[in-house]
Amino acid sequence: MNISKNSNLIIWATLIVFSFLLPLFPVGPYTVHICILILTYIIATSSLRTIFISGQASVGHAAFMGVGAYTSAILSLRLGWTPWITMLVGALAAMALATMSGYLFCRLRAIYFSMVTLFFGIAVEAVMRTMVGLTGGRSGLVGFPRLGVINPFGLGEINFATSKVPYYYLLLILTLLTLLALYRLEKSRAGMNWMAIAQSPLVASSVGISETKFRVLSFAIGCFFAGLAGSAYAHYNGVLSTSSFALLPSIYLVIYMLLGGVGNFAGPIIGVVVLVAIPELFRSLKEFTPFVFGGIMLLVVYLMPQGLVGLFKSAKS
Amino acid sequence: MEIFAQTVVNGLLLSSIYILVAVGFALIFSLMQVLNFAHGVIYMVGAYVCYYWGAYFGLGPWGALLMSALTVGLFGLFLEKFCFRPFHGDFNRTLMVSLALIIILQAAADVTVGGYVKRVPTVLPGVMNIWGLTLSNERVVTFIIALFLLSGLTLLIQKTKLGQQMRALAQDRDAAALQGINVHFVSGVAFGLACALAALAGGLMASIISMNVHMGDAMLVKAIALVIVAGMGSIGGLFISGLIIGFMDATLPLFIGGAGSDVVAFCLVIIILLIRPQGLFGIEV
Repeated sequence: MNISKNSNLIIWATLIVFSFLLPLFPVGPYTVHICILILTYIIATSSLRTIFISGQASVGHAAFMGVGAYTSAILSLRLGWTPWITMLVGALAAMALATMSGYLFCRLRAIYFSMVTLFFGIAVEAVMRTMVGLTGGRSGLVGFPRLGVINPFGLGEINFATSKVPYYYLLLILTLLTLLALYRLEKSRAGMNWMAIAQSPLVASSVGISETKFRVLSFAIGCFFAGLAGSAYAHYNGVLSTSSFALLPSIYLVIYMLLGGVGNFAGPIIGVVVLVAIPELFRSLKEFTPFVFGGIMLLVVYLMPQGLVGLFKSAKS
Repeated sequence: MEIFAQTVVNGLLLSSIYILVAVGFALIFSLMQVLNFAHGVIYMVGAYVCYYWGAYFGLGPWGALLMSALTVGLFGLFLEKFCFRPFHGDFNRTLMVSLALIIILQAAADVTVGGYVKRVPTVLPGVMNIWGLTLSNERVVTFIIALFLLSGLTLLIQKTKLGQQMRALAQDRDAAALQGINVHFVSGVAFGLACALAALAGGLMASIISMNVHMGDAMLVKAIALVIVAGMGSIGGLFISGLIIGFMDATLPLFIGGAGSDVVAFCLVIIILLIRPQGLFGIEV
């Protein structure tokens, strides 16, 4: 047990060091772009897993990313606030919406919860589409400020405008903080309560765990980080379109998570890395690339019932 | 008056197409407990196969429609046997298979026919005049075909032995198997039937609107909305919920625009889920 815990630590440490050193290798800006995408999806998918482990299979997660992204973009564009603050406000807005809707949706369980989140997600996207004056509608929102030049503590200037690398480090730090927070939460008493509710809501409430309170808690926390991912990505990308937060992106998040394996904390990370990176390797196939994606999915479903995590586990032992 | 009549025809048309797709979705869900997210894509594939039979094999509109239903129905049998049967009872994995099917079939449609705008030749071109109202022939005919199909399906489920077996399966799969019903055969036939109906809906719809690779996404959402409003497991309720949602989609965009009508329709579904999760006509709690 101790040995496996140590080897786990070593693997995590190696990965973190490697990801910090990555921009020092001779990689093109496109590779950095893909890495930023991967980091954004890791935040979103890991936060989705936090909702899943409390027995709530949400299929509208991308909508909360959209709420964060649009709140942050509109605040920085209309009120001229600095993106560093609006990013946090965006995440809080997603969390507030999740808390309110979470209380409403709490009465539904299992498949009915999935359905209501699915429709809530597409309703939120449709609302964004109707508010053309504010969000730009289908044609998208452009012209909101990106992260400029900063000089933290007088240590030296970091220029976000000239290169993608500072964004990469920003996303990397956000990802690590998110993963740390989610890991600590999962291992805390709240995390235990979530799993108890997922196993049996009836038994959980009979031993004094408030089902409503903890389900709303996990939904709100998950959506906070989704909003964070959305707003960070918005200020990186500089362009927002409502279609990036519709049904299909939500489904993709579920795919990443299920494919990696819900049962393990590393599942979403492995799922995102494999499903974003491998199709990128086959980019030269152009319109045939989705076949690679679908092929990986079918392969995992037929051969690895535990998800990709199962493969890594059996390789380690 | 004319706009009113056309709106009614559009409402009936949309309702019947939605019901055709949703009936298959509900059939698969109640018989196999599979949430088939690929059903919207099957509808899209139906339209593309219909186009393919017409454009590459020179079949007329009727022939193409029939062959498309047959091809996609057989494809449904194949899917049930090799993609869904091995994972029976494992909700996550059947969900994953259906999501993988979405991605693969969309890419396949994109590669073979192409994403650019195409239409299937209509079964009956032109317009007709009834009591001084101008109505497009294809819409009326499409509605009548859909009506025939739906009555046929209702008869099949209510009156025949196969329909009885299907209802037995929906009630209790194990008990049905113990009574000597070949559960694999019945669910295979039901899956094929559901796919054929979705393909017919796709073929019919592709003669009215231009088709594209993503036409199934919106239809999947509509099908799920219908099933929720009616209640999971209630096939008869689909007719009422289909009319409600079809007419909302036909009338609301006239007043508040496409996106606004989406908001209203989806909020209606959310409210129904919150107040009556079992749907308007569902029995199960």
